[in-house]
Amino acid sequence: MKLQVKLALYNTLTKLAIILFTGLLILLSIEKISYNHVELRLEENERETLKNLSSKEISSKLANQKPYTDYNILKEEFIIITPVKFEPTETKAVKFTTETRTSDLVTQTYRILTHQFNFNNHTYLLEIGVSVTSIEELKSIIKRFTLLTLIIALALTLVSDLVFTKFLLAPFYKIIDRKLIKVNDPMNFDYEKIQTTTQDFELLDDSISTLMKKISNLFALEKQFIANVSHELLTPISIISSRLENILLQEELSEASENKMHASLKTLNRLKSIINSLLLISKVENNQYDKAEVVMIAGIIMEIQEELEDRLEEKHLTFNNNIKYIYSIMGNRPLMHTLLFNLINNAIKYNKPKGSITVADELKEDVYVLEITDTGAGMDQQQIENAFNRFEKFETEEKESYGLGLAIVKSITAFHGIRVKIDSVKDRGTSIFLIFNRE
Amino acid sequence: MNDLDPVTLIDSSCKYTIMNVLIVEDEKGLALEVDEFLSHEGFTVEHARTKKSASEKIFVNNYDFILLDLGLPDGDGFDLLKMLKSMNEREDAVIILTARGAVDDRVSGLEQGADDYLAKPFSLNELLARMHAITRRKHRLESNDINVKGLKINIQNRTVTYNDERITLTKKEFEIFNYLVLNKNRVISRTNLTEHVWGDVLEINSDSNFVDVHVKNLRKKLSVYIPIDWFETVRSIGYRINI
Repeated sequence: MKLQVKLALYNTLTKLAIILFTGLLILLSIEKISYNHVELRLEENERETLKNLSSKEISSKLANQKPYTDYNILKEEFIIITPVKFEPTETKAVKFTTETRTSDLVTQTYRILTHQFNFNNHTYLLEIGVSVTSIEELKSIIKRFTLLTLIIALALTLVSDLVFTKFLLAPFYKIIDRKLIKVNDPMNFDYEKIQTTTQDFELLDDSISTLMKKISNLFALEKQFIANVSHELLTPISIISSRLENILLQEELSEASENKMHASLKTLNRLKSIINSLLLISKVENNQYDKAEVVMIAGIIMEIQEELEDRLEEKHLTFNNNIKYIYSIMGNRPLMHTLLFNLINNAIKYNKPKGSITVADELKEDVYVLEITDTGAGMDQQQIENAFNRFEKFETEEKESYGLGLAIVKSITAFHGIRVKIDSVKDRGTSIFLIFNRE
Repeated sequence: MNDLDPVTLIDSSCKYTIMNVLIVEDEKGLALEVDEFLSHEGFTVEHARTKKSASEKIFVNNYDFILLDLGLPDGDGFDLLKMLKSMNEREDAVIILTARGAVDDRVSGLEQGADDYLAKPFSLNELLARMHAITRRKHRLESNDINVKGLKINIQNRTVTYNDERITLTKKEFEIFNYLVLNKNRVISRTNLTEHVWGDVLEINSDSNFVDVHVKNLRKKLSVYIPIDWFETVRSIGYRINI
């Protein structure tokens, strides 16, 4: 998950928690405060009522042992005094309840004070109610209002958070994008500083640049080294091989010596092949080839099929050319030839006798895929992973293999921006996919 | 009818008898070996180790061949090529020899008028074959078929005939036969033969027994017409044509 998303998620969750908490707190305290207020009033009313028990209106009712009921006009308050069974001891306890009462077809919720008292040797139950409907209404209004305010606040802070983190993290993402994701080769690394006032990002940017500089220096050095060494080795090899050839011209040479000379020439040839392969890789990696040619894939495949006819025949292999499309790329023709030659040559080399090689293609919306499938030895996962390493070789009946074929393939595909995928089943065969981006 | 020796070959077609070669190469060891080989083949050989001495020699003498190394201590071999091309009435054939090996060098070398290009390390047999090819091209020796035991090789048309009857050879079989004939009486290794016929394809030259298939077919085709005891297989090395 991206840092920005994580931060946004964290902000949302904490804000939501704070809002829920404050919302609950506010609602609870409103209830508590308003009920408190009402209860104080009820207690005051009670005192007032008890003081007025002897008033004419009440006492006349009480004298007849009838309940006394009094609602005010809007039914917001009421007093009910009901005679109950006599209890000699008077309790001071006052009880508060919330109940719904109906009077004259008007139903309201009341906070009711209940109190038993003795008066003139009779026990009465006093109930004083105050309508809390208005309070409930107020409560719901406040509830809605706070909720709305909080939601708006949440939305606003969230947006501002997002905008700010986005602004804050912009240089960070720029660093990641330009300095890490888009870099497939340290040679064309972008050393331009990313504008930021955040010290940490500056440090990150600098560190990556420094590291990359070191790596690319090493890279350049390595490439230069390979190029130099290869070049400097070719001349001495040339001298030795010419010398051996001249020795072979001497007539007094024994057969044994002659054989040794030829064997040495063969060894020299091997050395030459290795050096030339390394030289090729280093030149491709140094971008010393241009790719301004229109190269037709199908044409090259046909050429290679013809060139390798003898090898195919020798192993009794069937070559199926199932190419359906005339697809061309801008590239370097000799390099593309070497690339496909190496792949098909491998398909021959690692194939079993009387096996087959199939070259097929597929044109998709955004890519062109060329597939080379053999029925050979196959590779396991470990071998696939190491396949493109230099000097990696597999068991083959061929006596000499330098293990540079796929390293060359790797450098040429990287040079042309072609992706390579290997599918392989041990002892069943290998499929190599070359994936060309359509532009 | 010509024999194979370059000296006698020129004898019948041109005025002069001995072909002269200028080796422009700063590596003394290599120059000496090329010299020894070409002298053995009947060429007159001269050396130049620097651009300066080479240009002096080129200015004074005509050469049949100039073997030109590109990386000279005092400059680029290409300059010599340019100088030569700017001179009038010069027919010197130029073969570029270089360890640079870059495709660009090859292309620009040929564009600037070099006749051929060989990357170091090269086989001396290959060098000789290239020189023969250039001679034939330059002097238009179409009529000069090579005769091997009654088999007539026409390099221009790339055909082999026996008593005017054409023997159908594949492209590769012809190349192999021609190369072995050019390098007659010498053992030519499979590696060398493969490199000549298939070119300098990486890795493929490693252990190339598939050249045997072609040789086998070639021998079968030739033996229909004449006994081919002169076409010898040298065990574990390669082949030799004894004439």
